[in-house]
Amino acid sequence: MNTECDPKLAALFAEAETELGDPAFAKNVMHSIDSERRKTLLVWGALLIAALACAALVAAPLVTALDMATGLLPTSLVSVETDWLQELLAPVNSIAAALALGFLAVRMFYRRVFR
Amino acid sequence: MRYSTDLLAKSPESVLVGLSRTGNRDAFAELVTRRQTWIRNLMRRCCGDTSFADDLSQLVFMQAWRSIRQLNDAKRFGPWLKRLAINTWLQHKRRNDPLRAADEHSDADTTHRDQTGIAMDLDKALATLPDDVRLCIVLNYHERMTHAEIESYTGMPLGTIKSHIRRGAKKLQDELSAYATIAEETK
Repeated sequence: MNTECDPKLAALFAEAETELGDPAFAKNVMHSIDSERRKTLLVWGALLIAALACAALVAAPLVTALDMATGLLPTSLVSVETDWLQELLAPVNSIAAALALGFLAVRMFYRRVFR
Repeated sequence: MRYSTDLLAKSPESVLVGLSRTGNRDAFAELVTRRQTWIRNLMRRCCGDTSFADDLSQLVFMQAWRSIRQLNDAKRFGPWLKRLAINTWLQHKRRNDPLRAADEHSDADTTHRDQTGIAMDLDKALATLPDDVRLCIVLNYHERMTHAEIESYTGMPLGTIKSHIRRGAKKLQDELSAYATIAEETK
């Protein structure tokens, strides 16, 4: 609780309170808000243009890389002579399966060590 | 949507806060007009320089505009704004603010536009106190905040706040003894 307030000092603080109804202050605040908003819009506009330029530059190599990955992922790790066995083992006998297992192992290791 | 200035001037604060949350600039301008005396006086007591206090007050209102959507209860606008003001002052004290130079003023370059004699003398006396002591005194005497409230707003330990206020009040009583004498004589 507030128990140590000196009344004379409190009265001085109250008397020192100045009425400040200056309309210029509110105008300045709103002007600053507007200019800050303009700056933010400019920055976001520049970032958007940069992002679009980057997207245009990397679009073709990205599509090629995705195409290669799509072709590479189902590739068998071990070749099996028998067709029906090859089909049966396909979900685990591929680069995609190896990557998925690797990811699960890393995640399990991370959870054991850091949580 | 635009509302007339008269309508906004007559609207309760909670309505203005609600409108400001939807991005209404006019409503926020009205809030600034209503609350400027309070915030500017608080900042003047904190830093002792009217120009610099106005700069800080402007920062407070800009911060308020940026984050007013986070204010869920429109009726809590006052305490929320006060917290923003105190945080703005604390941040200014903590970091090496370029504006800081303006605060480290001498009596000669201190500006006291539209200040009364008492206000000027009070600010001079407050300027002799260390930053933390001054803040505690201002929050206690100017804002009429309890020690527990000061603790919650500033994060200072309660014991430190009590000792700051005791020490600061004693120093102010000494510095402003002339006013106490005048008050006694006029009784």
